[in-house]
Amino acid sequence: MFAALDLPTLSILLLIALCGILASGVWIAIGLGIVGLIAMVLTTSVPIGSVLAGKTWDSAASWQIAALPLFIWMGEILFRTKMSEEMFRGLAPWLQWLPGRLMHVNIVGCGIFATMSGSSAATCATIGKIALPELEKRGYDRDMSLGSLAGAGTLGLLIPPSIPMVVYAVTANVSVLKVFLGGFLPGALVMALYSGYIIIWSLLNPAKTPPRDPPLSFMGKMEQSRKLIPCLMLISLVFFSLVLGFATATECAAWGVIGALLLAAWSGTLSWESFKESVMSATRLTCMIMLILAAAAFCTAAMAYTGIPKALAEWVDGQNLQRHTLVLALTVMYIILGCLIDGISMIVLTAVIVLPMVERAGFDLIWFGVYLIIHVEMAQITPPVGFNLFVLQNMSGRDTFSVAKAAFPFFILLNVAVVIITAFPEIVMVVPNWVFPETPRLK
Amino acid sequence: MRAALDKLYLWSGYLAGLNLFITFAIMIIMSVGRGFALNIPDGTYFASWSMAALAFLGMGHTFKRGEMIRVGLLMEKLKGTPKQVAELLALSVALIFMLYFTWHAFDYVRTSLRLHDMSDGILPIPLWIPQLSFLIGVVILTIAVLDEWIHVARGNPPSFEKPPPKTTEELLARVAEGGGV
Repeated sequence: MFAALDLPTLSILLLIALCGILASGVWIAIGLGIVGLIAMVLTTSVPIGSVLAGKTWDSAASWQIAALPLFIWMGEILFRTKMSEEMFRGLAPWLQWLPGRLMHVNIVGCGIFATMSGSSAATCATIGKIALPELEKRGYDRDMSLGSLAGAGTLGLLIPPSIPMVVYAVTANVSVLKVFLGGFLPGALVMALYSGYIIIWSLLNPAKTPPRDPPLSFMGKMEQSRKLIPCLMLISLVFFSLVLGFATATECAAWGVIGALLLAAWSGTLSWESFKESVMSATRLTCMIMLILAAAAFCTAAMAYTGIPKALAEWVDGQNLQRHTLVLALTVMYIILGCLIDGISMIVLTAVIVLPMVERAGFDLIWFGVYLIIHVEMAQITPPVGFNLFVLQNMSGRDTFSVAKAAFPFFILLNVAVVIITAFPEIVMVVPNWVFPETPRLK
Repeated sequence: MRAALDKLYLWSGYLAGLNLFITFAIMIIMSVGRGFALNIPDGTYFASWSMAALAFLGMGHTFKRGEMIRVGLLMEKLKGTPKQVAELLALSVALIFMLYFTWHAFDYVRTSLRLHDMSDGILPIPLWIPQLSFLIGVVILTIAVLDEWIHVARGNPPSFEKPPPKTTEELLARVAEGGGV
């Protein structure tokens, strides 16, 4: 009896249902499930309940997804170590000579922490805990230190391991490892853009940079940085086992946990209490993400029955759009979405519609994953909903919008990074193509 | 009753945590074992099943702790009675969906048992055994949603709602608890 519904009407109906359900405060996973149900009721006579149960079970009982809780756990263990204090003291003496001085500690510190943690909020909070008061004590410009911290914290998502990357890889059905590898150079690019901006800003505002700390001898510097060595070793361990293909992403995550536990034991922060806490936080975060992923898997299957994603992909294909026009349109959409919802929901909500479209337009899904993760980074620092803003708002005692204003230049720099990787997709693809030579080249 | 329910959520959460550790242990043993030609038969299956148990058994606990995400933009604007009504409405939608889901999770596992579905590894294992974690987890989540629905219907503020953190220490603890990616 519903056969009369044509695709445009059905699409609009489902979109309204989705927005209405999510806006009313229903949990995102349940909202996705309901929209999937509506879609199936309207278009097929397949037994809906068994598709729902089957997809949910299949999406959780998976070997590949097991990397997710392990990377989360690794980050949770490291979050409970004294890493951040050591990071500030260890990095500060080496970065004094750059214009902008200790503000670069925010960038480099977050960059290093990001190679161990897959979370932006944790990266931002860990580095900010020490860096914010230290920078303020020395008289650094407040907006600049807040902004750079908000921006650099998001590196936790782009530099592997990364929780949203695992979510994307599972949703798009591509290799987690390849998406991870694709994130390395863009991560370095974003760090360079941030540091470059700080350098230029300090050269333009020399009065706002306080004098440097008293210089240390080389041995003095080494003494300060001594404590960073185990942490750098852990990074190398994880990085090389990924790049040299010793381990799958999942195994690599398990070894990362061992490294993190050793590091915690070595720094004296490993106790039964902190161990239990790290397990339980990792468990809750995993459950939250898994429920969304399961619901998204069901919703994707339901959408396939409606034929909407295929029709839309064909429509985009038929428009003979310039590739850059499509990227521009998606960029605008993701910036708006990123203001309203969190990154992980943004990935799973759009994946079912957008992925067939970009694949049809000839983009590599690994490249698109990295592109999408940069948008998730932006989502962390755009008001009214941006998790890094909440973290820094709380740490600095200022309101969301003034933190967002301080972070705005860094939001622009992320957009610059999007433009650069769109113009030169090789920046993303060169590492995965080098490690997996059989990967088809970007069309 | 209250105490028993809270224990149920907490202990199913602990059980989920134990499964995180099991997943990790299987992974490490397999990774080390490969060097010594030592293998866990069907290790990848066991790892994926403990992964599923981790995901499903912890859902009720996660929901009660307020760590299931939702779009709070409109909800945060509301106060007093409208807020209470909106919360109850959201919980009602969730409850109806979860009841439907529970029935079909039950049906799924029952079908698996009736058809004698086996895993296709070296050790054939009846699939309904690992799938029990799915059913139990979904049932616990449904109980948690129902529990919350009754709690809010009686006019109490939702127990999954936490006041915003006041100090940096509180915030750090919140982030450490997995308050966001």
